[in-house]
Amino acid sequence: MIKVPLKSNTSYLIRQLPSPTAFIDTNYNIVQTSDKWTSIFNKNDEHNNSKSLFAVFPKLSHKWKMVLDNCFKGNPQPMGIHQTINTNGQELWFEWTNAPWYDTDENIVGAIIQLSNITEAVNNELELNKKELLLQQQAEITKIGRWEYNIADNQLFWCSTTKSIHEVTPGFRPNIETALFYYKEGHSRNAISMALFEAQNKGKSWSNLKLQIITATGKEKWVMAGGKPIYNKGEVVGLIGTFQDIHEQVVADLKTIDNEKLLRTLIDNLPVNVYIKDTESRKVLVNKAECEYLGINDPKEIIGKSDFELYPFDAAKKSREEDLKVMNSLIPVIGKETVKTTLDGKVTSFLNSKIPLLNNKGVAYGIVGISMDISTLKEKEKELRNIINIASVQNKKLLNFAHIVSHNLRSHSANFSMLLNFLESEEDEDEKKNIFTMLTKASNNLLETLDNLNEVVSINTNTNIEIKEINLHDKVVDVCNNLSPFISNNKSKIENNIPASFNIKVVPAYVDSIITNFITNAVKYRHPEREGHVILSVEKKKGYSVLSIKDNGLGIDLKKYGKKLFGMYKTFHDHKDARGIGLYLTKNQIDAMNGKIEVSSEVGKGTEFKIFFNEKN
Amino acid sequence: MKKISDITIIDDDAITVFGLRKLISSSVECESIKSYDNGKIALDALTEFYNNNKQIPQVIFLDINMPIMDGWEFLEAFIELPISNRIRINIVTSSIDPFDQKQWEHYKSKSHHLITFNQKPIDRNKITEITQVA
Repeated sequence: MIKVPLKSNTSYLIRQLPSPTAFIDTNYNIVQTSDKWTSIFNKNDEHNNSKSLFAVFPKLSHKWKMVLDNCFKGNPQPMGIHQTINTNGQELWFEWTNAPWYDTDENIVGAIIQLSNITEAVNNELELNKKELLLQQQAEITKIGRWEYNIADNQLFWCSTTKSIHEVTPGFRPNIETALFYYKEGHSRNAISMALFEAQNKGKSWSNLKLQIITATGKEKWVMAGGKPIYNKGEVVGLIGTFQDIHEQVVADLKTIDNEKLLRTLIDNLPVNVYIKDTESRKVLVNKAECEYLGINDPKEIIGKSDFELYPFDAAKKSREEDLKVMNSLIPVIGKETVKTTLDGKVTSFLNSKIPLLNNKGVAYGIVGISMDISTLKEKEKELRNIINIASVQNKKLLNFAHIVSHNLRSHSANFSMLLNFLESEEDEDEKKNIFTMLTKASNNLLETLDNLNEVVSINTNTNIEIKEINLHDKVVDVCNNLSPFISNNKSKIENNIPASFNIKVVPAYVDSIITNFITNAVKYRHPEREGHVILSVEKKKGYSVLSIKDNGLGIDLKKYGKKLFGMYKTFHDHKDARGIGLYLTKNQIDAMNGKIEVSSEVGKGTEFKIFFNEKN
Repeated sequence: MKKISDITIIDDDAITVFGLRKLISSSVECESIKSYDNGKIALDALTEFYNNNKQIPQVIFLDINMPIMDGWEFLEAFIELPISNRIRINIVTSSIDPFDQKQWEHYKSKSHHLITFNQKPIDRNKITEITQVA
């Protein structure tokens, strides 16, 4: 026991004080301590009584002497916080308070110092600071800000990140009304107002609201907002939440979506068939054109199907082999002309390309196919070829005609010059007369030739020939009436089997000439040993009205004369009336009406001509 | 000049036949001039001559454009006849069709006969030149 000036039985009471307490005299010497004090600071329960306080705690601020002096004068002041190490070497924080120490006569004899352990509080605060720091860093990195709203005093707090997202100054003081106005009018503002209302009134929290704000500088931004109510004794007292800048993400997402859309729109609207197949040649992607070609509405109907389910076996096998070759060799097929037949028998010409799709190891994981439907082109090409054929036939005809004209005129002029030559040197009067007769004949021949040529030219050059509908039956009757003396003189019979109502669209004058010509020929070349019999009939065949004129006459050796049958000045019978112009003109007239002519004949039995009148006229 | 025994004209045009006859008879010596209206009649006649060992004409004047059998068809058949003598065949035509020119070259190379191609009109000098034994 140490000796203290005022030692009494109260010292026992002091020792039992629950908090660490020390009594010091006006010289700062420790007079008495509670057991609690002793257990904290004194090793082995040794009491430091009678030692100066500043000696025991050398790190105590000397300002505290002044505070204690004031206390000795009856004006106690808070001292502050002091860190110390306890007997176990633990770091402890204490808040020191003091009060004057009175003796029984109300004289101040010292000060009572009481410590309260605030170590936990201090540690908590440090932890809080650390957390705050972490949070801030996190907020800066993730661009997730915080906010808090206190309902009671209507205070809104924004963290620095939240402020920077709003693009306001660090000193900006938000309130709940202005905060709402940063949200874009319409969906965004409505959604956040609704969320706030529901949180305050129904205690609902919200999260992942993707909304748009207009920042203080007028920029449009996408943000993600979340919030939840905080309770105190079961009552909502405020809201806390997060606020995240997701603009770049959303824009990138939108861009990706846009790009995908663009690609899809492109693929779907390309006027070519596009598809992607996997290594098993199963369809992975098809565009609209390919769907239309395969006659389906929804691409899902063919996704996963192979060519073997879409095309006949042989074609599918060929296509599969081609796919494999492309995937193995990595050499694309470009613009290969392919004719494809679907299962329902539709035939289409394609310009086909197959390009291998490579993964990052350079191995093909499928092919992309592009096929262009060139059926119409092919059709056009065929038409063009036809036109070229027609043109070349016309050209040949023209050249042939030119040669005929040249030949005929030259032969006449040669005759003239020869005869005139003779005349010049001829002295015999009888022979002169003879030559004159020849000259007259030559002149007549020339006139006839010119007439014939003129007729041919007029058929071939008359471009606006007028096409009319005529009754074929009546036409034949007319022609027969005109030829009736000739027919009866030649002991022939005409049988008109054409239906009374059969009409054709033709150039009437040509048909007149054609029928006259064929009937005349049939009668003229009748077999001398029997009566002539000519049968006319008609049938419809593949866009043509086919008039058949069949006789039982001499017949023509088609092997010998077939090629020359319709040539100019070709005759095949030893007949004095044969001129060799009739069939040539007839052929030209039929050609001019876009028709055609066929002939079959057997020598000694008869001939059948079939005249095809084009119904498209 | 060697006298020619037989000359044949094959042409459907009476005026040309008249002219040729007149020219030949006044320019060269020959025993007979025969004429035929077309290739068929001529071929029939010549074939008959050959079969009966009669004289085949030494010079033939041949027109191209004729009815029933034209000049080329006649030639085609005539060169098939196994006549050992070299016959002179003068084609006389007013045709300038390149096809006819080609035909002439074709038959000329195919036959041992002498085949010439002559454009109308034919005058006296020309007749003298081409009316010779081949």
